[in-house]
Amino acid sequence: MYDYVVIGAGIVGSFIARELSKYNLKALVLEKENDVANVQTLANSAILHSGHNPEPNSLKTKLCLLGNKLYEEVEDELCIPLLRTGAYVVAHNNDEEQKLLDLVETTKANHVTEYELLDYAEACKTEPNLAKSITKVLSLPTTKVTYPWEAAFACMENAIVNGVEFKKNSEVTNITKSKEGFVVTVNKLDNYHTKYVINATGVNTDDIAAMVEKHVSFKIKPRHGEYYVLDKRVKGFVNHVLYPLPTDLGKGVLLTPQIHGNILVGPDSKWVDDKYRTNNTPAGLEYVKTNAKHLAENVPFHQIIRSFAGIRATSDQDDFIIEESKEAKGFYHLAGIDSPGLTAAPAIAKYLVEDIMHVQDKYSINKEFNPIRFKNKEFGSLDYEQQLEFIKKDPLHGNIICKCENITEREVLDAINGPLGSNTIKGVKKRCRAGAGLCQGGYCEEKVYKLIVRETKATPLDVCYDGAKSNMFVSETKVK
Amino acid sequence: MNKEIIVIGGGASGLAAAIAAKEEGRDILLIEKESKLGGILNQCIHNGFGLEVFKEEYTGPEYANKYVQKFHESKIDFLLDTTVLHIDKIENGFEIILSSKVTGMKKVTCQSIIMSTGCYERTRGSISIPGDRPYGVITAGSAQRYLNIDGYMIGKKVFILGSGDIGLIMARRMYLEGAEVLGVAELMPYSNGLTRNIVQCLNDYNIPLYLSHTVTEIHGNDDNRLESIVIQEVNQSYQPIPGTEREFSVDTLLLSIGLVPDITLMDNLDVEHDLKTKSVKVNQAYETSVPGLFICGNSLQVHDLVDNVSMESERAGKCASEFVLAKKIESNESIKIKAGNNLLFVTPHYVDFAWASRETVIQFRSTSKIEKALLTVSQGDKELLSKRKSFIVPAEMETFTLDMNQIEKGSDILVNLEVL
Ligand SMILES: Cc1cc2nc3c(=O)[nH]c(=O)nc-3n(C[C@H](O)[C@H](O)[C@H](O)COP(=O)(O)OP(=O)(O)OC[C@H]3O[C@@H](n4cnc5c(N)ncnc54)[C@H](O)[C@@H]3O)c2cc1C
Ligand SMILES: Cc1cc2nc3c(=O)[nH]c(=O)nc-3n(C[C@H](O)[C@H](O)[C@H](O)COP(=O)(O)OP(=O)(O)OC[C@H]3O[C@@H](n4cnc5c(N)ncnc54)[C@H](O)[C@@H]3O)c2cc1C
Repeated sequence: MYDYVVIGAGIVGSFIARELSKYNLKALVLEKENDVANVQTLANSAILHSGHNPEPNSLKTKLCLLGNKLYEEVEDELCIPLLRTGAYVVAHNNDEEQKLLDLVETTKANHVTEYELLDYAEACKTEPNLAKSITKVLSLPTTKVTYPWEAAFACMENAIVNGVEFKKNSEVTNITKSKEGFVVTVNKLDNYHTKYVINATGVNTDDIAAMVEKHVSFKIKPRHGEYYVLDKRVKGFVNHVLYPLPTDLGKGVLLTPQIHGNILVGPDSKWVDDKYRTNNTPAGLEYVKTNAKHLAENVPFHQIIRSFAGIRATSDQDDFIIEESKEAKGFYHLAGIDSPGLTAAPAIAKYLVEDIMHVQDKYSINKEFNPIRFKNKEFGSLDYEQQLEFIKKDPLHGNIICKCENITEREVLDAINGPLGSNTIKGVKKRCRAGAGLCQGGYCEEKVYKLIVRETKATPLDVCYDGAKSNMFVSETKVK
Repeated sequence: MNKEIIVIGGGASGLAAAIAAKEEGRDILLIEKESKLGGILNQCIHNGFGLEVFKEEYTGPEYANKYVQKFHESKIDFLLDTTVLHIDKIENGFEIILSSKVTGMKKVTCQSIIMSTGCYERTRGSISIPGDRPYGVITAGSAQRYLNIDGYMIGKKVFILGSGDIGLIMARRMYLEGAEVLGVAELMPYSNGLTRNIVQCLNDYNIPLYLSHTVTEIHGNDDNRLESIVIQEVNQSYQPIPGTEREFSVDTLLLSIGLVPDITLMDNLDVEHDLKTKSVKVNQAYETSVPGLFICGNSLQVHDLVDNVSMESERAGKCASEFVLAKKIESNESIKIKAGNNLLFVTPHYVDFAWASRETVIQFRSTSKIEKALLTVSQGDKELLSKRKSFIVPAEMETFTLDMNQIEKGSDILVNLEVL
């Protein structure tokens, strides 16, 4: 019997898991994918927004501002990387400048205290490649960029260390009410009994709600967004997150510097029917390219190394929906958590646990709770002397596996064997970036799969790319 | 540690360069990141190597072994399982950071460097093929390595995008291993592979080649493995023509869409780039704009024949040796070699008169297929060479030699191809 079952291990489920582990209770996280952070949390802009544009007094605003601050706390506690970029929202003409002033009003109303209006010349001092058509800029210094996968791993790892159970490849297929609470069925097979259920399933929140409610009060309207990734060699091309003026469709196509030096170009925004299909389309990518040109001069599109797409779990209501089910007491929804959901996630978790579920009134504090999750600095980010130190302690740091991103054997082994280790190619890439660079795994995929084979005592035929049936190889060759 | 010459990369190129420089008596260290010398040749178990150099046909590994043997006989120092991470220009030479499991990280200095780091394959990301992003869309070279070296098949129903040589060779290889090879799509109206490969790898096995076609849609299944692809015919501006869609149910899409010289190690050096070869510019001694930094093989320009790699790298090795002996060869004056009509690129990019004793071997590729052409080389009004050529294709690199005695200081050299 569990106290809490959390469905979904995106950034929201992961922060909730960690928040729950601060109390003496029994919690289980169920995730349908073969890894944490494989859906919305996999494919987004990675921005910690300052809170300049959601509706004043909304949950989105409140939790975005608080979330942005809370990341500063967990940065050291959980080794979640932050890149303090700041942001520029740009205007190109009188009309847009007027809208920029309106945005300043929203910014003030949202209690974002740090902001500044700059003219083009001033903005160019820190951002020399700014598009020449830009006339005014709203500077938002508190905007930051994080590494969403790492953030989710960090929270889930820490939650696991503090007693939470985590099960991947566990799709919730049915939920029934019981005397003590709920019976949650996974993969149409296994049942878990629990007092409370937390529905943090992103695009699936309405489907999950329908398992316990006759009249689901919200509907997810999936919104598709595409990106280009530029190679880390473009580092410094832009230093701030560059936003156009927001529209009804959201924040628009952005240029976003990433933690490892890459720049993301995107996303567009398209309503779609299929919740799951994160495909790229020629039209979407073209749109992204065209619009990025309004932000900067000569965007280095020749440095494109990849494209991808994500689906926002936008709901038919404007705000985040964080509430107890009206029909099923003890069942909690986290729905419509689209942007700024990544930013808000730590605040969402606290708000749910303390203000909505009142866990502090029901369970005692876990005195053994260890807030610290340690991760070695990335080898490639160290200077030569530090690298020598690392190698002295551990010669496996001397063996470079991924040449594009400078990833060492030790880092790959940690990705495989860590507390939340992964035995897939994609899982390893998400944890240590082997294969995330210029050649996209052309050099290192072979080395990574061989390390997975060695470390997990599998055969090459067992190694999967992502899902539990996405095997790399179909057979041995005839002659070996 | 201080060396006269450090050779980075132990493929066909690095081996030949090192052997040649050693013959001149140089003190050399060759560094290879893999556990075996030979580079890409090790996975090319098909025939067709060495006709030019050895007048005999070998497999890739056989060809490599000829050089590896000679390399060992020459008693050249080398490090395996060692990656070069960084190059810095210092006074009178270079400082290199290398790393390995056994020795850890180290700094090594040298007077001259020969870059022979080969190339990497263009990926799906670099050409933005639309669709889902499942596993099973894989570069042909990776698939070749898994198949030929590791002994694993990546799929049973295969389609190939790009008619480059690796793709063609893999079409045959997968077919012979029992896979169903449904076709090869090529964006251009002609193939990008050697003619012999079209015949021996596709025609002989009735594998259809779809010219002026590209992949426009990719579908993955729930487990994120490839399920099907759609190809479409393209018009003259390479845009897909609506209504020409054709779907193939496959578990593997091999990409043979081009190779890119691997010169990331030069990122922090002040080298002059060539946007066409996607590598750097060199003079006839294979020296980059950084004195003492030489480059050859697939890291200079992607070759179709290993014989050319060996010969080119031998020349580069000799030049690096000369550089070290002369301590520092002052670049006194140089002229440009320009790619004229119908030329995609030409190497070398400069004739430097400091290297006047060196012959100038010119290599180029055409921009399109030309049945009959006139190759002319001129300097100002003076014609240096004029030669009729038949059947020139972008897939086959052309080579000729210029007599240095003919070349004068002053105006640039122009290499032209006229369609006859
Ligand atoms: C294109 C795009 C750009 C964005 N940019 C930003 C940004 O820059 N800044 C920002 O703050 N926010 C951004 N967002 C929003 C942010 O990514 C999301 O708000 C956040 O990731 C939501 O996290 P989540 O945990 O709720 O959802 P998810 O990450 O989608 O996690 C839900 C999890 O539930 C699992 N699940 C679903 N159904 C079941 C089931 N039946 N059984 C078990 N498990 C199940 C899923 O597999 C998934 O892992 C962006 C979103 C998109 C799509
Ligand atoms: C699949 C394929 C099929 C071919 N078929 C034919 C054919 O039929 N006939 C023919 O004549 N030619 C063929 N060729 C062409 C010819 O074989 C190649 O052009 C030639 O082998 C390239 O040699 P290279 O030394 O330039 O590059 P490579 O063989 O790629 O060698 C580069 C070496 O550098 C090492 N290296 C790279 N970076 C570093 C670093 N930072 N530190 C240390 N080491 C590093 C690499 O590990 C590698 O061993 C084929 C090529 C390919 C790829």
